Amino acid sequence: MGDLTRVTIDFESSHLLFPTIIACVLAVLGLSIVVRERRSILASGNHWARIFSNMDKVRFFGTIALTLVYFSLMVPVGDMWPNTGMGFLLCSIPFVFLTGALFLHDRGLRPVATIAVVALVVPTLVWWLFTDVFFLTLP
Amino acid sequence: MELFAFVTPLFLSLIVAGTFVGIVFGAIPGMTATMAVAVCLPLTYPLGLENGLALLLGLYVGGISGGLVPAILLNIPGTPSSITTTFDGYPMTRRGEGERALKIGIVSSLVGGLISLAILFLFAPVLADFAIRFSYVEKFLIIFFAMTVMAALSKDTLVGIFSGVLGIFISLIGVYDLSDGGNGKTRLIPPGLDYWLDSGFSLLPVLIGLFGLTAVLCEAELGVPRGLSRSEVKVGHSSRFSFSVFKGQMLNLIRSSGIGTFVGILPGVGGSAASILAYTNAKTFSKNRDNFGKGEPAGIMASEAGNNGLTGGALVPLLSLGIPGDSTTALLIGAFTLQGIQVGPLFIGNNPDTWNAMIFAMMIANAAMFIMMFFAIRYVALIVTVPKHILYPIILMMCVIGAYTINYGIMFDVWTLAIFGLFGWVAYHTRLEIAPFIIGFILGPSAEVYFVKSLESFGDPTIFFTKSWIAMVLWVLISGSILISLYLARQARRD
Repeated sequence: MGDLTRVTIDFESSHLLFPTIIACVLAVLGLSIVVRERRSILASGNHWARIFSNMDKVRFFGTIALTLVYFSLMVPVGDMWPNTGMGFLLCSIPFVFLTGALFLHDRGLRPVATIAVVALVVPTLVWWLFTDVFFLTLP
Repeated sequence: MELFAFVTPLFLSLIVAGTFVGIVFGAIPGMTATMAVAVCLPLTYPLGLENGLALLLGLYVGGISGGLVPAILLNIPGTPSSITTTFDGYPMTRRGEGERALKIGIVSSLVGGLISLAILFLFAPVLADFAIRFSYVEKFLIIFFAMTVMAALSKDTLVGIFSGVLGIFISLIGVYDLSDGGNGKTRLIPPGLDYWLDSGFSLLPVLIGLFGLTAVLCEAELGVPRGLSRSEVKVGHSSRFSFSVFKGQMLNLIRSSGIGTFVGILPGVGGSAASILAYTNAKTFSKNRDNFGKGEPAGIMASEAGNNGLTGGALVPLLSLGIPGDSTTALLIGAFTLQGIQVGPLFIGNNPDTWNAMIFAMMIANAAMFIMMFFAIRYVALIVTVPKHILYPIILMMCVIGAYTINYGIMFDVWTLAIFGLFGWVAYHTRLEIAPFIIGFILGPSAEVYFVKSLESFGDPTIFFTKSWIAMVLWVLISGSILISLYLARQARRD
């Protein structure tokens, strides 16, 4: 019985053993969900169509777009002034302002001015805190 | 006194500040304690472990407690764990008893927090002492048990298991580390991403993405609902609060706190389960069960003692076994990782100062929460009017800092945050469960090491059944949780 259950792990391929088992378990579980939920999966087009028709598209896709642009620009801008965290600061100010303005419902002078002040003050304060007080690297 | 060497003005200030910020996050619908911890995590880097934990534990206690404010005043649970607080809290507000309901909730939160803290203090070291004896086999079985419990208590067992296993699978991307006894080879890396994913996805950007960016995207999808004006927040004057309302409710409070703590100990089961179980029990055993849902103070007591009971309970498996009890304590692992400390059975014995600091910080955080909320409830209630259009951009900015600084400035970590933020939004709409996913992601690498090393050492898979009596007991528990999950799935189908 002992010999029947004996296994030898090849050290060279040991990095694949557990991922293979987990991938198999995942496949079985995924298949079970597909079989059980086949009707709702077939109707998932309607589900997503409903989500997209009900969502606030400007704010949702605007957030994604602004976030991706923010992430993309931080390093190139930072490379102009290396090791100063300027990439973070110079990108965060317009990001906080534009995202705040995007989320705002009544874009009157006063709320926009408030966002502008917050967009200037908060990123500057955070930049100062992390670079001059905590000595942490920012882009 | 050496014992309290960690108690400095900075330490105390961080607890109080953390508790306050946590209350703010908890009180604003759509923002949670987990989000508060995720956003503030990078601040802990230069603070050191004890001070960093002081801040995070304050956020945790404040965040869980703050949820009762909009639950009672607006019928909107500030955090998922305060959902049952709305059942009786809001009817009391409509009767003009908002302030009374809030104070009942605050006192119950304090009781729940302190009882769970006492259980944490007494139980975690015992469990850790016991767990020190575990070999790789028992450690693997403990993780297996944690996954089965999580699956059993998921909304949908099959999807819960799938989410957990998916988390494990994604955690295995990258190198099988030499420092863990692996062979140093990589696996599962998509073509072209070898450079970035050599060490896999970092834990904290994943967590920050799932709890920071996902929450903001979900709110943006809804159009970032307008905040309330001050005139809309009505605390109510008609009925004064008195401690006599707790007369005859001690059993309810203790039972609810115990339930909350127990649910907290179970991995991956959130605060909503704690408060729902506590509320259901209180209703079942109450003489006034017909009044539940119509403004019964005992309902608020059960809900709030239950969800604050979670705070100490969720730390028990984290500090004794290295398994997070909920998503917020999963983030605390990040704070330990930042300071180069591994949590597990040896943690309490090897780091008595940190352990004492954590207990002390939790105690002060509960006291600070009580003082801030009880005596300034009229002002705390106004937190629900804080405009989200100002907070959310700042949160996104803080998320970037958190992800970027975690590995000393790697931009890929910021992209990881974006990937998992979007994944979290998709998961939200596809019923994938985030808590099991995270627990799987955190425990996956350890599960692999324990599993492979067990087989390498013993060369026989039957060792998982025969290694020791502890292994056998764990199999009984695993079988029990599988049976429970099957039973619950069957019940759900019938309903």
